[in-house]
Amino acid sequence: MKLAVFVHEYREPEVLDRLKAEKLGIILVQNGVYHATVKKDGQPSPILSRNAEFYALSEDLATRGFSDDKVDPKVKVLNYDGLVDLIFNDYEKILWL
Amino acid sequence: MGKLTIGCFSSLVGSLTLDFAVKLAEAAIKKGHEVDFWLSGNATMLAKKNQSKFRDYSHLAETIKELLGTGRFQITMCEACGKARGIQEEDVMEGFQIYSMDWYLASIYNADRLVHIGGE
Amino acid sequence: MIKRYAFVVNKLPYKAETTRLALTHAIASQTAEIHLEDGQGVEPVIAFIGEGVLNCLKNQKALDIYGVTSQEMHLKNALLLDLKVLVCKEDLERFGLSQDDIVMDAEELGAEVTTQVVPFDDIMKEIETADQVLYF
Repeated sequence: MKLAVFVHEYREPEVLDRLKAEKLGIILVQNGVYHATVKKDGQPSPILSRNAEFYALSEDLATRGFSDDKVDPKVKVLNYDGLVDLIFNDYEKILWL
Repeated sequence: MGKLTIGCFSSLVGSLTLDFAVKLAEAAIKKGHEVDFWLSGNATMLAKKNQSKFRDYSHLAETIKELLGTGRFQITMCEACGKARGIQEEDVMEGFQIYSMDWYLASIYNADRLVHIGGE
Repeated sequence: MIKRYAFVVNKLPYKAETTRLALTHAIASQTAEIHLEDGQGVEPVIAFIGEGVLNCLKNQKALDIYGVTSQEMHLKNALLLDLKVLVCKEDLERFGLSQDDIVMDAEELGAEVTTQVVPFDDIMKEIETADQVLYF
């Protein structure tokens, strides 16, 4: 299963530990984009150490005052257009956690 | 081109989640896809007509009107969720449909992709 | 063709409407065919995981106190309609709960199916094999 999950809060959903997928995408939107940009005590968000593909929504980054160059290199920045393509082309099931 | 069904259960004002869902729908429509949009729970507030536009509050009525004009966008309010909030047929913006929850499940049936935003 | 939908409930009840809507939407699958073509239908499975298992506790008094249908009543209605209801075994144990604490049947209503307490892996299989997943 190719599974994409939306993370929309700046806390890690517990269920992430348990989801199994042949391909897992973590899409950071809304307050989820802080995972891609903020370092707490100098450390990147633990969510980024997961075995997954990471994406962050550029509009939600900009809304919160982040330019794309502030985003962790593991995270691909995409806009709404890119998000639509991602949903249709790269993943089969999508969960909003 | 495909069909995207979006179900949103979050309120119009407060979290920008409904804004997210509508922007996603808008992007999908611009790419030529078809979108069914289901409003349930507090999201039914979006259906209410005569909403004033203030910059401190989300306002999506104009965008929805444009999307409806494409002919590839349907938006439907959960009947019970709306009525429980005092939103009757006469209170709903032009172009909005009102159905019970089974409409959403039927829309999902032949959707190529589902984005279900289950609310706060 | 019948398509399977997984309704996965991971949130607590009452403070937000979302878990109630999970159950009412799952129950609405019984009438989805009025909007579908002949031979098409929807078969739901409801799975409670994480804090969501607390929706399944017995003796909920929401109707008596707040005048709203309890999650317990919705769950019993789901069983009465022969819906498949799964509860995550590991999560029940994390909260120190057992089958004795949750709604396992609705015999008093005449329901024949019962709640199944299963390992999370079984619920993951449902998510993988379902045609659509609705996560609440």
